[in-house]
Amino acid sequence: MRGKRLMVWLVSVAVAVVIASPAMAAEPKEIKLGYILPLSGPLAPTGKALREGAELAADIINNKYPGLKLSIAQWEGIPNLGGAKIKLIFADHRGDPGWGADQAKRLIRDEKVIGLAGCYNSSVTKTASVEAERAGIPFVNGDSTSPALTKRGFKWFWRVTPHETWFTADLFNFLDGLTKGKAPGVKAIPKEQIDKLAVAVENTEWGAAALAAIQEFAAKHEYKIVEWFKYPHTAADLSSEARRMMASGANSYLFASYLADSILFIKTLKELGATPRLIWGQDAGFVEPDFPKTLGAAVNGILTRDLFSPELGKVKPVTIPLNELYKKRAGYDFHGSSARNFVGVQVWAHALNEAKSTDPAAIRKALNEMNLPADELLMPWKGVRFGSPFPGDTQQNEIGSGVINQLQGFPGGKSQVVYPFEFATADFVHPFPGWK
Amino acid sequence: MSQLLNDIFSFGDRPFSERIVLIVFSVVALTFPWLVESAYARAVMIKFLLIALFGLGWNLIGGYGGQVDLGQAKNVGFGAYATALMILHWHTPFWLTVPVGIFFATLESFAVAYPMFRLRGHYFAIATLCVALAWKELFIFWDWTGGARGVEIPIRPTPDFTFMEFGEVGYHYFIFGLFMAQFLFMNWFRKSKLGYQLQALRDNEDAAASLGINVTGTKVIAYCITAGLGAMGGSFMTVYYLYIDPDLVMPLDLSILIAMTVMVGGAGSIWGPMIGAAALIPLDMYLGAWLAGGGHYGIDFMIYGLIIMIIAAYEPKGIWGVIERVTKRG
Amino acid sequence: MELATQLVTYGVLMGCVFAFVALGLSLIFGVMNIVNFAHGEFMMVGMYVAFLISSYLPLDPLVSLPFAAFLGFFLGVVSYRLLITHILRGPMVAQLFGTFGLMLFLRYLVMFIFGPDVRTLSHGVLVGKTISLGWVSLDASKMVAAGLCVLFFVLVYWMISRTKLGRALRATSLDAEAARYMGIDTEKMNALAWGIGAATVGVAGGLLAHFYYVTPTVGMLFILIAFATVALGGFGSIPGAFVAGIIIGLIQALGGHYLSELKFTFIYIAYFLTVVLKPRGLFGW
Repeated sequence: MRGKRLMVWLVSVAVAVVIASPAMAAEPKEIKLGYILPLSGPLAPTGKALREGAELAADIINNKYPGLKLSIAQWEGIPNLGGAKIKLIFADHRGDPGWGADQAKRLIRDEKVIGLAGCYNSSVTKTASVEAERAGIPFVNGDSTSPALTKRGFKWFWRVTPHETWFTADLFNFLDGLTKGKAPGVKAIPKEQIDKLAVAVENTEWGAAALAAIQEFAAKHEYKIVEWFKYPHTAADLSSEARRMMASGANSYLFASYLADSILFIKTLKELGATPRLIWGQDAGFVEPDFPKTLGAAVNGILTRDLFSPELGKVKPVTIPLNELYKKRAGYDFHGSSARNFVGVQVWAHALNEAKSTDPAAIRKALNEMNLPADELLMPWKGVRFGSPFPGDTQQNEIGSGVINQLQGFPGGKSQVVYPFEFATADFVHPFPGWK
Repeated sequence: MSQLLNDIFSFGDRPFSERIVLIVFSVVALTFPWLVESAYARAVMIKFLLIALFGLGWNLIGGYGGQVDLGQAKNVGFGAYATALMILHWHTPFWLTVPVGIFFATLESFAVAYPMFRLRGHYFAIATLCVALAWKELFIFWDWTGGARGVEIPIRPTPDFTFMEFGEVGYHYFIFGLFMAQFLFMNWFRKSKLGYQLQALRDNEDAAASLGINVTGTKVIAYCITAGLGAMGGSFMTVYYLYIDPDLVMPLDLSILIAMTVMVGGAGSIWGPMIGAAALIPLDMYLGAWLAGGGHYGIDFMIYGLIIMIIAAYEPKGIWGVIERVTKRG
Repeated sequence: MELATQLVTYGVLMGCVFAFVALGLSLIFGVMNIVNFAHGEFMMVGMYVAFLISSYLPLDPLVSLPFAAFLGFFLGVVSYRLLITHILRGPMVAQLFGTFGLMLFLRYLVMFIFGPDVRTLSHGVLVGKTISLGWVSLDASKMVAAGLCVLFFVLVYWMISRTKLGRALRATSLDAEAARYMGIDTEKMNALAWGIGAATVGVAGGLLAHFYYVTPTVGMLFILIAFATVALGGFGSIPGAFVAGIIIGLIQALGGHYLSELKFTFIYIAYFLTVVLKPRGLFGW
């Protein structure tokens, strides 16, 4: 009887040891990273581009790319974790914040990912990062630009990309630069030719934030907002809105629109024969590959607030081979959002390497001490270092920056960097050439 | 009093097998967090209970009343916003915000109900849809409610019963409690005078009127009760997600999902909402999670649409209709 | 003054487009008392026909209109035979959700085949052309769409009120039972109404593709406007759909100018006020 009980005990201990031993092994062969993106629904095309960017980064980390001048290209896995490979586990949030939160739970606790990334839509990033914060695991966001995200004082949330406040600051620095003749290829533009602004934003979280920032900086830089309005996201017709912008006598049109509306706005303005001197689109729809693909020559001369251009290769050589690799996968060039997702995964890899462990506290320490130099990045940034660049921000990359591109030579054209002026890849075309 | 309690808790008029199923369901739901470790399965369970709860409320007007309401999300929104804004601005304890949400949802429904119940059938359905959409756009427009930016509730580090924030096991019992409360309410309701009147006018409005039932009055009361039941679930959504915006709590998709849940499960049956949510929510959430990585765009919704069509065409009484037929035959 | 005439012009033109989309919905409702959620998806299919024909064949997108009409007719009849005839026997809830399921299925089938990308027509005699009337310049394709809209309304109205076929359709809508006794094949009439309804919206889609983008989810927005249009004009009333379409076009043009973010709210409120005062809509019987 006693012997039997002893046997049971011994067997249970043995079983427990066998089960527990893989978990106790110090070096994981595979590091799982949860990645939440809009992979179905209206934002699916964007989600696909972002996913390709993230997957390319993981591929470069996990395999050897001898020609690439990035440290991750030489790694073959995370060196300080015994060459463990990064495995991205994608989840679809459908643009629904509730789904984002549920997927975050699944990734964190069922898939046992060591951290999260995504989610593009700021509203989904809000709910998904709440789950990460509750679970105490790191969430590194590469592509959501609502300023509110890093003003919540979260302990487990880092943002790599600059946010809206920056981009709007960039816009007004750019306009000021134009009036001082700093743009390549054009003489100083008299301020009265570009200082009357008409602003159209969609009535979403993001559009409202963009509008608020534009109003704040316009006052600071002494530009006049002669017309502004919010319009319903995905409108059936924007004739009245376009007419209102034209009637305001504004010479610069500013937009914050997703793809469908940006196409409709430009088509309508063209139809109505608007003659602004400057058109500026805030990221999103204006930087999608589908935007010039759809509208062809009508986009020439439009300025886009972006973070990237494949043309940056002229001034930043590392982007040329990277863009080629991306193009081979996706079929089109990197754009601001997909490039930021590349950098997002890169930041994760460097953080893991510095942390030398997958322990959340160690990763947190590594992220807070991170100082990734500019030459590791394909973005025209000074690097990645988390801090508090604007009042209220925490754990926000403080040395990132945006660019302003101009679409030139479509169809078959390029989006050329015109700001920062030192990164300019082509002459600035001014005034807006019209709808030829 | 004891009569009331009996009406609430008694399932005496239902067959023995149904009472057994109810007990099994309650036991499974109560032990669920101990049986299942997967966080996603728990999230699916919470979503199931939430949608089933919405279905219970909708079943009152849509199932027992036969009035297809495609705007229940507006009531969810009233509840969610009442809770969110009161917690955010005035630190009101959760349980004080719930009656406020119910009050506003009921008030609004009462205000629009009279003109709307001059419409019947499809006309009524489209009217509810338009009113709900107008409210959603107004909430996006309105700055005090956060507009499109939504409302964020601060995360509390420790479980907090004043503001009802805790881990997911806590949320599980929280939503299960709300669900059971509404389930028992519906059990009382279906046997109440109002319930019988409502079913009578669903089956034949003219006959009901000739029996002296106040047709419009009964419909209006039912519509208002439905609104209040929906608002309660909205309050839960606020403390569950800790973030709400009009797209999360007031979308057309939610209105349609609620009505569809009841229809798939079986409208006008106390079991319909539970069966419908059990059929739709896990399917949707597992299919969506499983297919998402594969780069197939929309295949989950295609399957979803196909299932809905088949049920609508061949089993309009929903899954409950099938169960009833099989058990009666056997 | 110039402002007013321009806004009214935009409103009337877009109103014609909304009315065009609503025409088939109204016809189907009039004949068999059923709200078709998948109507916007029929329109989307018409848009894809125009897009595919003009992109992959050396043809003008205008040539695609008969194909869009034909495919729409086919889709309508097939949907009726396979789905609608079954759900008509069920309760109203089942009817609403049957077509809702069809909507999901068609939308995501197209997304599965062609991907979720947003596309527009790149060439065609009407694409991107504008006509200047002095005080206002207008998209040529919108003008053609408005013209064809009027033509189709007249045709459908004439068919319903003057032809033998129309009488059979009306008889079916008034009392299907009695119509059957009179020897009318009501099944065939219903299928025909679905075919014609889907064909008209297919044409509307083919024209819409000239000035609007094409994407699998485009139907939702237009179906909501079409619901409000049909309900405002009076379910089943063909002239009502036309007038209501114009009204809604005007509301959204004026709303777009004065308070853009609420322009759809104005449409819903206008509709709500109408049914408060006149439950059957403007032209309802």
